Amino acid sequence: MSAPIVTTEHLSKWYGQVSGLNDVTVSVPPGITGLLGPNGAGKSTFLKLITGQLKPSKGTVTVLGEPIWDNPGAYFKIGFCPEQDAFYERMTGLAWVTALVRLNGYDEAEATAAAEKAIAAVDLLDAKDKKIGAYSKGMRQRIKMAQALVHDPGLLILDEPLTGMDPLMRRRTIKLIKEWARQGKSIIVSSHILHEVESMTSNILLINNGRILAEGNVHQIRDLIDTHPHTVFVRAEQPRAFARHCLAFDDVLSLRFEAGAVVVQTGKPDAFYARVTSLAATDEVGLIHEVTSPDDNLQAVFQYLVK
Amino acid sequence: MTSAPAAHSPLAGSASGAPPALPVPRRAPSLWSASARIFELSLARMLWSRGTIFMALLVGLPVVLALLVRGVQAIGAPAMRVEGQVVTGPTIFGFMVWWLYLRFIVPVLALYYGTALVADEVEDKTITYLFTRPIARGAVLLGKFLAYFVCTVMVVTPSLMIVYFLMGLSGATLAGTFPSLLKDLGLVILGLLAYGGLFAWVGAQFKRPLVIGLVFVFGFEQLALIIPGYMRNLTVSYYLQSLVPHAVMSEGVLSILQSLVMQKASMATAIVMLIGIGVAFVFLAMRVIARREYVLEQ
Repeated sequence: MSAPIVTTEHLSKWYGQVSGLNDVTVSVPPGITGLLGPNGAGKSTFLKLITGQLKPSKGTVTVLGEPIWDNPGAYFKIGFCPEQDAFYERMTGLAWVTALVRLNGYDEAEATAAAEKAIAAVDLLDAKDKKIGAYSKGMRQRIKMAQALVHDPGLLILDEPLTGMDPLMRRRTIKLIKEWARQGKSIIVSSHILHEVESMTSNILLINNGRILAEGNVHQIRDLIDTHPHTVFVRAEQPRAFARHCLAFDDVLSLRFEAGAVVVQTGKPDAFYARVTSLAATDEVGLIHEVTSPDDNLQAVFQYLVK
Repeated sequence: MTSAPAAHSPLAGSASGAPPALPVPRRAPSLWSASARIFELSLARMLWSRGTIFMALLVGLPVVLALLVRGVQAIGAPAMRVEGQVVTGPTIFGFMVWWLYLRFIVPVLALYYGTALVADEVEDKTITYLFTRPIARGAVLLGKFLAYFVCTVMVVTPSLMIVYFLMGLSGATLAGTFPSLLKDLGLVILGLLAYGGLFAWVGAQFKRPLVIGLVFVFGFEQLALIIPGYMRNLTVSYYLQSLVPHAVMSEGVLSILQSLVMQKASMATAIVMLIGIGVAFVFLAMRVIARREYVLEQ
């Protein structure tokens, strides 16, 4: 198994009396990892700690095998795209990215070439000579990503990178991120747009109230929530008859009707699916057209875990 | 400590095709090299920042005053007299150098820009881009300080020279007064260095740097200069005052008062102290920046 790209041990961060992150021990594997959590969950604190912007109050952080705080050399291998919409507005996109990559030791010609390449990668070449102040929100997001990847880092840390992008650009950016991962880069993406993260990776970290609630594959995480109510949507020919049968099942916690369908909450999803299959085999409830579970979507997993 | 990144093909498959891989730098830029790059990045930003109008107003003030005095002289108004003596252009120039430039414009500019060197980047939330690059944090402050220094020298010295040509030359030859002008320019530059360094540290160290700076310049320094004893040694203005080439007023009650408060350090001591204050406080500010966390408001 590959070495983790980020390791934290008992990592805590306090802002005065307020806890931003609380005793987090986690290993982030190579590849794409989604960091999910509601606002104020501690995502930004976590990212600031692993990018060396904040010093841990307690515990340790290791990024690509090295401590990150007060270790500027580590930034050769890390590219960070922050969440905030903040720029040198009067500079052109090209001048800004060039100026930043010069801080990585590139000379002017190398820096300009690298900046043009990074800007091309985020599909912004046509606007490279425009002032950033004149960029749309989506363009600003993309130029921010360009500055993160301009020095070709092995680890990209992207804080809400899709915010403000139109659907086409989101799709393209997701494709790019997956492409970078295929090239061997590791990427940590924080987002609150869960289905988009889901389309990038199944490897996630769920965070809330400064704690990691769950980590790993989305399916492994689903196993963790078997004790939580699981929602199943059943479209049936005779929904009322189906509901009548469901009421007899011990594991059914609640049900409600929708047009031509029943939405059931069960405490034992596997047993419930087995019974539905048996029912479908009989003629007692008519045809069962569709059985789906919104819990297959990451959004539902997340909602359960942060409740 | 950290090796250079692996030379894998950067951004392969980008929209622009696959240009040849760039040479990957082996080492982080040195402190000076990084500072020079931050300087380049900051200079234009500083010159065209929200403080530009403020700076223009400040350095324009003595020019306007000099123009007014020249205008009054040109329409044949009677010469200004103090205790029976005609106040000449060079006297007014000397007065303006000390009271307007060295006691007001230089410390106020240094306070305004010095305390904001990093605070502006923090407030604008752009500091992240600089602090996540492989350079020492101290280089960010040093580069910004150099930008402040060059920027303010570029703005204040022309103002002083214009005022000199309007007032200081009056009734004298350029050759005769030029050395004095050079001293004045040197004083202004030393003042910008010493106050700038001091306020760079104040800005890095304290939460309300402007208040602290204002209290220092217009409270503590004013008081320390008139209190006999060693307290004046803790001010910047004492060393600047020691180098002022002009006798602001030469006779009368004012000169007696002046002689009481105008104790001087030797020229060498004053120059060494002013440079030392500037350099030492910039160094301290760099140390503070290197260790401090900046929590940006979300």
